[in-house]
Amino acid sequence: MGKAFDITLVLDFIPELLRYLHITLIVLGGSIVLGLVGGLLLAVPRLYQIPVLSQLATLYVSFMRGTPILIKLFLVYYGLPELLKPIGIDLSRTDPLVFVIVTYALSDAASFAEIFRGAVRSVDKGQTEAAYAAGMTTFQSFRRIVVPQALILAFPNMANTLIGSLKDTSLAFSIGVMDMVGRGQTLISATSHALEVYISLSVVYYVIVIVLEKGFTLAERRLQRHERKSTVPKPAVRAERLKRIAG
Amino acid sequence: MSIDLQFIYTSFFKILTALPLTLVITIVPLIVGFGIGLVTALIRIYQVPWIHRVAAFYVSFLRGTPMLMHLFLIYYGIPMIIDKLSERYGWAFQSASIPILVFVLIAFSLTAGAYMSEIIRSGILAVDRGQMEAAHAVGMSTSQALRRIVLPQAIGAVLPNLCSMFVGFLHGSTLAFTVSQMDILGKADVVASVSLKFLEAFIAAAVIYWGLTVIAERITALLERRVALYRKGGVS
Repeated sequence: MGKAFDITLVLDFIPELLRYLHITLIVLGGSIVLGLVGGLLLAVPRLYQIPVLSQLATLYVSFMRGTPILIKLFLVYYGLPELLKPIGIDLSRTDPLVFVIVTYALSDAASFAEIFRGAVRSVDKGQTEAAYAAGMTTFQSFRRIVVPQALILAFPNMANTLIGSLKDTSLAFSIGVMDMVGRGQTLISATSHALEVYISLSVVYYVIVIVLEKGFTLAERRLQRHERKSTVPKPAVRAERLKRIAG
Repeated sequence: MSIDLQFIYTSFFKILTALPLTLVITIVPLIVGFGIGLVTALIRIYQVPWIHRVAAFYVSFLRGTPMLMHLFLIYYGIPMIIDKLSERYGWAFQSASIPILVFVLIAFSLTAGAYMSEIIRSGILAVDRGQMEAAHAVGMSTSQALRRIVLPQAIGAVLPNLCSMFVGFLHGSTLAFTVSQMDILGKADVVASVSLKFLEAFIAAAVIYWGLTVIAERITALLERRVALYRKGGVS
């Protein structure tokens, strides 16, 4: 063993960890896509106040938001095989990656449901009424009129949830997933330079988060390009217009 | 499916004995973090030369990296620094005599400080400057105005954020399990390993966290109604 702390190792470890970045991104992407679908399915019963389903959705959201992600990870890891055994599905050889994606999808669905519900409520009810007046069905008006507007409103919160999920993926190693943190653990066993490994991991996460944040800011601006900012024109625009009228 | 319901019930009370440690790991970082956050927020609001850049980096880095990394960085980093110093200056003190809990509390306090600073900053910025000026105009001193006019409004504005932060740190306290702390999750793991009934033990632990979260949300709702008393709309 060399020096107790070797800062150059931090740079050596980064490419080694980045080779496992795709696992982290698969977990993130898979759980976000499934979570979005689940979130929409959870939000609809509550928005349209469908009896029984709406209460079940409330209970589900409350449980998912009321328990730590690490506990949910263990519950799925130990619970899902038990749940599927009676119907003849054997999960004993399943890749732990599947359990992680399922856990984060179930958890993200609850967050997305709440975000989505709030966003739909901020869309003016007159929009739905206008859609009905134009002859659309409930489903058409929801899909064509309400959802596109709600998604724009929900976007910043969804971006935050996504970044939170990215940071949560760091727990996947605890059930044996070989993602960046999992690879970090093996690097520690091999080199016993724990601190350098965790510095490298932090740097990698930090850079990804910064890139995502920048990307979301740009995307948000692009999504809002159709929004009219204000009915009162800016002073410069007004001066220009006045000049044109006067001239 | 064979779930031992009786065991969920018995393990619930065994696991509940770890509640005090979980609360310590949740609340101490929030209190210390409030202090760190307040200082950081003031540095950034008043743009203290040079230091405000350090403060901005601190907030951005800690918010941009997983809480688990903070725990591991402190857990491995501080003992190394202490042992180096102790070796150089010939102290008898060794990092091994520091309880792990201390590292957990330091790490989570630093995390809490970064998140708190953003909450406090938004709270202070949410109160209209005119409020302070109006208080001065009716003859209040700055500290009176802060205490009676600005803070009550700022607290009202950030209360929902503070509650979600409490819940977030309650859930985050489970990470202490990874450095073998006997919090609720740690205890659940022991109960599970002894009996080999993993699912039942984790269900019991989940119910405890769920209960705590629901209680925290109820208390916030009550407090919110209380601090929003002054914020009446309308004309009468």
